[in-house]
Amino acid sequence: MSGPGHGRAPALTRRTALKALGLVGGGLVVGVPLAGCGSPPPAPPPSAGGGLAANAFLQITPGNEVHFVLPRTEMGQGVFDGLATLVAEELEVAPEAITVHHAPVHPDFRRPGSPAQGTGGSTSLSGHYAQLRQAGANAREAIRQAAAAELGLPADSLAMRDGRVVSGDRSWPYGQFAKAAAGRPLPADVELKAPADFRVIGRDRPRIDAWAKATGTAEFGLDVDFPGLHRAVLVRCPVAGGTVRAARTDAAAAMPGVHKVVTIFNGVAVVARSYWQARQAAEKLEIDWHLPELAGVSSPDLRRRMERALAEDGSEAHKAGDGADALPAGARRIEATYWAPFLAHATMEPMNCTARIADGGCEVWVGSQVPESARGAAAHHAGVPRENVRVHSTFLGGGFGRRLTNEYVAEAVAVARAAGVPVQLIWSREDDMRHDRYRPVSLVRFAAGLDGDGRVETWTVKRVGPNIAAHFTDDLLETIAPEFLPWGMADWASKRGHWFFENVMVNGSSVHGLFGDYDFPHQEVRHVTVDAGLPVGYWRSVGHSCNAFFAESFMDELAHAAGRDPVAFRLAHNAHDPRMQAVIRLAADKAGWGHPPAGRFQGIAAHNSFDTAVAQVAEVSLDDDGAVTVHKVTCAVDCGIAVNPDIVRAQMEGGIAYGLTAALYGEITLADGIVQQGNFDDYPMLRLDQAPAVDVHIVPGTAAPTGVGEPGLPPIAPALANAVFAATGTRIRELPLANHLSFT
Amino acid sequence: MIRFTLNGRLVETDQPPDTPLLWLVRDTFKLKGSKFGCGAGLCGACTMHLDGAAVRTCILPIEDVDGAAVTTIEGLGSRADPHPLQVAWVEHAVPQCGYCQSGQIMSAAALLAANPAPSDDDIDAQMSGNVCRCGTYPRIRRAIHAAARKGQGA
Repeated sequence: MSGPGHGRAPALTRRTALKALGLVGGGLVVGVPLAGCGSPPPAPPPSAGGGLAANAFLQITPGNEVHFVLPRTEMGQGVFDGLATLVAEELEVAPEAITVHHAPVHPDFRRPGSPAQGTGGSTSLSGHYAQLRQAGANAREAIRQAAAAELGLPADSLAMRDGRVVSGDRSWPYGQFAKAAAGRPLPADVELKAPADFRVIGRDRPRIDAWAKATGTAEFGLDVDFPGLHRAVLVRCPVAGGTVRAARTDAAAAMPGVHKVVTIFNGVAVVARSYWQARQAAEKLEIDWHLPELAGVSSPDLRRRMERALAEDGSEAHKAGDGADALPAGARRIEATYWAPFLAHATMEPMNCTARIADGGCEVWVGSQVPESARGAAAHHAGVPRENVRVHSTFLGGGFGRRLTNEYVAEAVAVARAAGVPVQLIWSREDDMRHDRYRPVSLVRFAAGLDGDGRVETWTVKRVGPNIAAHFTDDLLETIAPEFLPWGMADWASKRGHWFFENVMVNGSSVHGLFGDYDFPHQEVRHVTVDAGLPVGYWRSVGHSCNAFFAESFMDELAHAAGRDPVAFRLAHNAHDPRMQAVIRLAADKAGWGHPPAGRFQGIAAHNSFDTAVAQVAEVSLDDDGAVTVHKVTCAVDCGIAVNPDIVRAQMEGGIAYGLTAALYGEITLADGIVQQGNFDDYPMLRLDQAPAVDVHIVPGTAAPTGVGEPGLPPIAPALANAVFAATGTRIRELPLANHLSFT
Repeated sequence: MIRFTLNGRLVETDQPPDTPLLWLVRDTFKLKGSKFGCGAGLCGACTMHLDGAAVRTCILPIEDVDGAAVTTIEGLGSRADPHPLQVAWVEHAVPQCGYCQSGQIMSAAALLAANPAPSDDDIDAQMSGNVCRCGTYPRIRRAIHAAARKGQGA
């Protein structure tokens, strides 16, 4: 369990963050070069144990502990293991021997090239692949050189193996030389190992966070506790964006265990000794709301509005060749319209945040994908400078993009400030379902032209829907904009995002995946913004989550229209992309494409996202009542080098399950602006009895790794829909599929 | 006053009798391994054993556990002294985010206690009350079979 620090939260310095991590010791701390003038003090080593601290990430103590500060958040995708493995490989220690710490907020822990510290976009392995191996290699050489000096032996006669310096049949633990290494100049730019020499990268190992997660000891945000901590339940406007007009709170305040009832920027919170008391008391609140425009929106109206918008010209997002001008008339022109609904993330751990404000500082404990933004939000709502905020990151009970915004941090801090006590704000499942940042609703119309040989000559598409970047800017800009800007100015600037993405520039994630997988001569992608005002956000694989369903279902339609086999048809259109060709061939081969078992039907889809190529074959059957069973998914992936192949397989399995849940059942609807779903009874999940067998094949590679957290998801919906077409002859162009067919 | 045994230790509480067991165990007894997922008995993240049976404790009022024996993930095993399922969970790299896994393991442990060699259908029937958003289902199935085989001495 975590506890609060003592007194005012100090500015982060090397020394204070040592304390923040609660460690003692010292030793070698290895850091990468920092930015120039005006940067904050160096990030602190994770342990106060001294020794070698050659960069922000690594410390080797005289007691022979190896501490690694994890710059990204662990939400299941495996960075806790994967990034530690990068360090372990070059440092020549076992990954299991490394103690991993969640990083504090500090510029050193930004992904190289990123403006803020965060985890998203399936970028952790690619972003840190060279950097963290370098950190490990530099530290290893620092130890080697210190050992050589102490032992009076030539450095190149010393082998570095499994955390020990080896000379002949004698060996010494790294820690023995950590203090001496810390007093010497640190080696930089040490040559990295060749992939052929890797000992741990590329090998299957149980992930190093597995024990904690199998014994209930991994600490999630909800598990944070300390004496004096109160629990808070916040009642928000049922329509997102509404604010409190008036509230009757007497009955709630009189309930047992209630400390205080407070009104904050978006609702009324009950603060009590226990969650259950707070939840019970919250039932007694009577609140009158200022309703936003969204209150006038219901799903059927929104759908009609989007359909009307299809007639608009929109903005050009992509064009190749002659674009839509090349569309033929007559039978060679094929058109179709597709639809995908809003989706909730429904992470297993509902949103929560623990906040404590004292002595001019603020501490928050939270599982966030964007801890730097959490710090900005906390500073604003606590009324303290950012340097006086400490963010303690925990494991995330699921991220999937949901924890890329920090409204629950803002709420928790605002409640703690108003209530005058430390609070843990806990969202109920219903709060979580009804106040998400939803995967956007999308309506897409395709028109394609086939040439006389049955090849796609022209591919055009128009997408109608809201833009995530506009909402994300609103949510985040003010929390990471320079602190000297007044909050109102940052807020004003962020609100311009909606106008910007509607009028100036097409938001990439609104259209990504609608083009790019195939090399058609004439292409045109256009975009029309329709935004009802429901907050939207990044949902695992973002636009690809539905755009792959649209594009790969339509590609299947074109294959059938051309009278071609869907696999051969795809391969005939992506000769420019050998990786995609390889995964399609591999998935088809392993699935026995074209020769399914009796009574089974297959569908294929392939999609590039986040620089990773994935192809999947879904295998289904149909019972006498017309109900579909999904038996098996065969998946092929090219993600460059697979740092931990078993985690790559797990991420493909996970992407498929998450995508299958959405393809079968996922749908968030609005009635008068209110989200109608609330829990797992009306927003159903794939469960074990329906989960298909998943067979994952990884294309062997030595290229730098690309992401795997998201790319496993996009192909599953179209692969399944294409298999359903093969089984039934019915082309389903709207998600979720269970609105059209039953599934067993 | 309500009394019951929690992981073999006698405990008592004067919390209101309608308090769900989950919150008593987490907030009062500070055992955080059992998780809050839905508050409606729909996801299984809060699963504990009540006299050996897997129960959803987010909807189980503590008045119903008076005199009973409650086991949580902390009482099932630890890294030093693990339950065979926990060993299998690590070997098969089941957990991703890990949040649902205490509940998954408690459901599976109740199954194996009653049925040491479950079929796939038995696993389906017992485990379909536990949701995992990370999609660890195929590994959960494999890990249960593996632990069962070890239990059978195979």
